[in-house]
Order: sequence, then C-alpha cells, then structure tokens
Amino acid sequence: MESSASPSQEPVPGEASEPVLEARGLVREFGPIRAVDGVGFSLGAGELMTVFGPNGAGKTTLLKVLAGALKPTEGSVRLRDRELRTGDPDWNRRIGVLSHQSFLYGHLTLEENLRFYGKLFGLLDLGDRIPERLAQVGLEKRAGSLARTLSRGMRQRLALARTLLHDPEFVLLDEPYTGLDAHAAAVLRGVLTSLKDGRRTVILVTHNLSQGLELADRVAIQVRGRFVHLGPRDSLDLPSFEHFYREKVEKEEAR
Amino acid sequence: MREYLRQVGALVWKDVVVEYRTRERVAAMGGFTILVGILFNYAIDPTAVEPQAIASGLIWMTVVFGGMLGLGRTFHLEEEEGAFQGVLLSPIPRDALYLGKVVANFLILTVVTILVFAVFALFFGLEFGRHPLALAGVVLLGILGFVAIGTLFSAISARTSMGDTLLPILVFPLMVPVIIYGVTATSSLFAGLPASEVEGNIRMLGAFAAVALAAGAGLFRYVVEE
Repeated sequence: MESSASPSQEPVPGEASEPVLEARGLVREFGPIRAVDGVGFSLGAGELMTVFGPNGAGKTTLLKVLAGALKPTEGSVRLRDRELRTGDPDWNRRIGVLSHQSFLYGHLTLEENLRFYGKLFGLLDLGDRIPERLAQVGLEKRAGSLARTLSRGMRQRLALARTLLHDPEFVLLDEPYTGLDAHAAAVLRGVLTSLKDGRRTVILVTHNLSQGLELADRVAIQVRGRFVHLGPRDSLDLPSFEHFYREKVEKEEAR
Repeated sequence: MREYLRQVGALVWKDVVVEYRTRERVAAMGGFTILVGILFNYAIDPTAVEPQAIASGLIWMTVVFGGMLGLGRTFHLEEEEGAFQGVLLSPIPRDALYLGKVVANFLILTVVTILVFAVFALFFGLEFGRHPLALAGVVLLGILGFVAIGTLFSAISARTSMGDTLLPILVFPLMVPVIIYGVTATSSLFAGLPASEVEGNIRMLGAFAAVALAAGAGLFRYVVEE
C-alpha cells in the first residue's frame, strides 16, 4: 500500500508532470481552529483527485478556499498562469463548483436558472447551450418547470448542469452523490466520466469510498485539516482501501 | 461594458421575476402602506389639521418604513439553496452585483411608492400640485438614495444574527438628508409653488443618491466577501 502520508507544504514531487493546478501550504483558520492545515498538491490537465475524509475534516473548507469563496489564511493556489484571489472574475470564469447547496432559484424555471447563470458568465450561445446541458443531465423535458418542483436528485442534476454550463477547466464537486437515487447516480457518473476529457481538472470530495475511487486518478485523505495521504490511485491496493482509510483516520484522530 | 450591463440586467430580471412570482416583498410593503393610510385616516382630524399640510411628511415616512420591510428581505431570497454563493462564484464584478440589486429594489419600491400616493390621495383627497414631473424627480431621486443606502446595509444586516432589527438602526440616521430635502420639496410642490423653488432640493437629493451609489458600489465587495 502506497502512502505519502506527511502533511505537505509543497506539492509532492512527480505528482503531475505538467501541473495545471498547484496548491502550496494552504491554511485556513477559523479563530483557533485550523480547518485546512498545510495542504499542498498539484494536478495535471484531465486529472481527477478524490478527497476522502471524515466529517469535520475540512474538506468543504478546502473546496471553498480552492473556489475562491474563502481567503486562505496562508498559502497559495495557482491555476495555470493565474494566482487565486478571492472574488477574481477571471478565476471564477474558469471554475465550476457543485456544492452541498444547489445555488438555484426555486421560483425560476430550469431554463431560466441556467439562462441567469449563463448571462452572469457572459455566455452568448445560451440558445444552444442550455438545451444541450439539460439533455446531458436528462432534464430536457422539465426545462419549463420551476426548480422548486424538482426532487432532490433532479435538483442535484440541474445543479450539475449549472456547474458545467460555462465549460469550466477546473471543477470542484462536493459530495455530488448525496441524496441521489440509482438512476440519478448513474446520470451523474456518466457526466463525471465525460469530464475526464483531458481538458479539465477535477476535485471530488466524498464520503463514499467506492464512488470516490471509481474515477479518481489521485486520492487524498484529509483528517483534521491535513492531508494524511496523497498519491496516485494506481498505487493503492483497492480491495483493502477501506481498512487503509480507517487506519489513517484513526491514527490521525488519536494524535 | 456590454457584458457588465448584461450581468446587471440579468440580476434585475431575476429579482423582478422572482418578486412577480412570489409577491413576497410587494405584498408586505403594499399591505403596510394601505394599513398606514387607513390608520392615519382615523388618527388625523381633518377639522383640526389640514391633511395637505402634513401629507408630504406622512407619505415620506410611509415610504421609508414600508421600504424598510422590503429592503430587509433583499438578500433573503438568495439564501434558499445558497444561491447568493453561486452568484458570488460567477465572474460578476461586485459593483455590478450591487447595482443590479439597487435597480431591482428601486423598481419594486417605485411600485410601492405609487401605491402610497394612491392610498393618500384616496383617503385624504390630496392634490399633488401642478408640477408632476418635478414631483416625480423629487420622489424618484429620494427613493434612489434610500435604496442605495438600504441595499448596502441590507447586505450587512443579512450577515448578522440581529438582521432585521439592525437594518433600521443603521439606515435611518443616514436617511435624514433624504427626509429633509424630500419632505420640504414635496410640501412645496403640494402647495402649488413653482418647480424652480425645489431645484436646490432636487440637486441635493441627486447628489446624495450619487454619493450613496458610489459608496455602495465601492464598499459592497468588503461586505459580501469573506
């Protein structure tokens, strides 16, 4: 079992031969609590990294920092030539975020929700793009329905369409499978697979080990803010990953 | 610039459509103004007080108190499903976001203000003078200043636990210039004075609105970003 355990201040050498996304020594504090503690990694184009971790490990905070929604207390993030700055329109144009919350307006229709976000992103071809995205998540027949009439799973699929509407090169997904039935999970899996087109860099946060491992190129385990494991999926012994994961979490929590 | 305007337009469109479908704010503000009109109708003895003489003060106070009900809800409709976070993660400049919210609030409050004037005309038989354009200028500039301040402070209060309680405490002291210049100009116009009499007031209301908009646009990012 491969393990590159220690919390990294620098990107692990050899992680990505041509890094597109680089995070160095990321720290985010809330008063005395370090929700993200010295996280560093790098990812290449087309790579998908899954971050596992127990509740309260700081996974969502890490995603918020990477999205630019939270300013890091220390450290830096770089996407190609662009250094992360909170609220930077150019950064926001290049990322897509699927959060716990859908970011949708219940009193707008599906089509209106996507049109609204499309205009915020300055997209001009919405007439073609919106039906395409709705079809991608299997909601084209509900385009005229109010978003609040959708089930939890449908809303999650619409949120995914919103996330991908502007064709972002860096995609952040926070527990995308939560609350989905088998059909919705299959649709989501299909969309996530299509994201691995060599152009995009994806970070997926999940509790679900099997779903998280399925598409991952790299795997990180975050506990108490720190990455206690970071390495390629190929180097993992997948059948015993659950045991490995539990061991890592318990060891860090006992520290 | 075109994209900037499209972004502002998208925000205005979204707020107006959501308001049209929910009628959440217009119903609260409209209901309030009608009730205030009815209460003043019973509270003021027209044989002791000439309604025309005090109408401008009553109208402005009704607009401000009623408007506060709506402005306090400006960011509530964004909270459901974390939509405001989604907007913040889009490439919209923060000043465009602020301006979009101001324009939407301005349109909604204008509708409510028309209702206020209609209610007072109905209950007190008011005459609005001979200069409707000057009156419209006074009222619209006053509302714009009010909305420019109220939208900024609504964003601040939405992020505190005291929320609705805090908003009037923050906004009312800053509204004093709008009330002074708005009420005196409105009184003059109701009294049938020429429009040239209120030019100075209109300029002051315009200057207040411009300063409030500039301050709001500049400060908004520090309010909404963590």
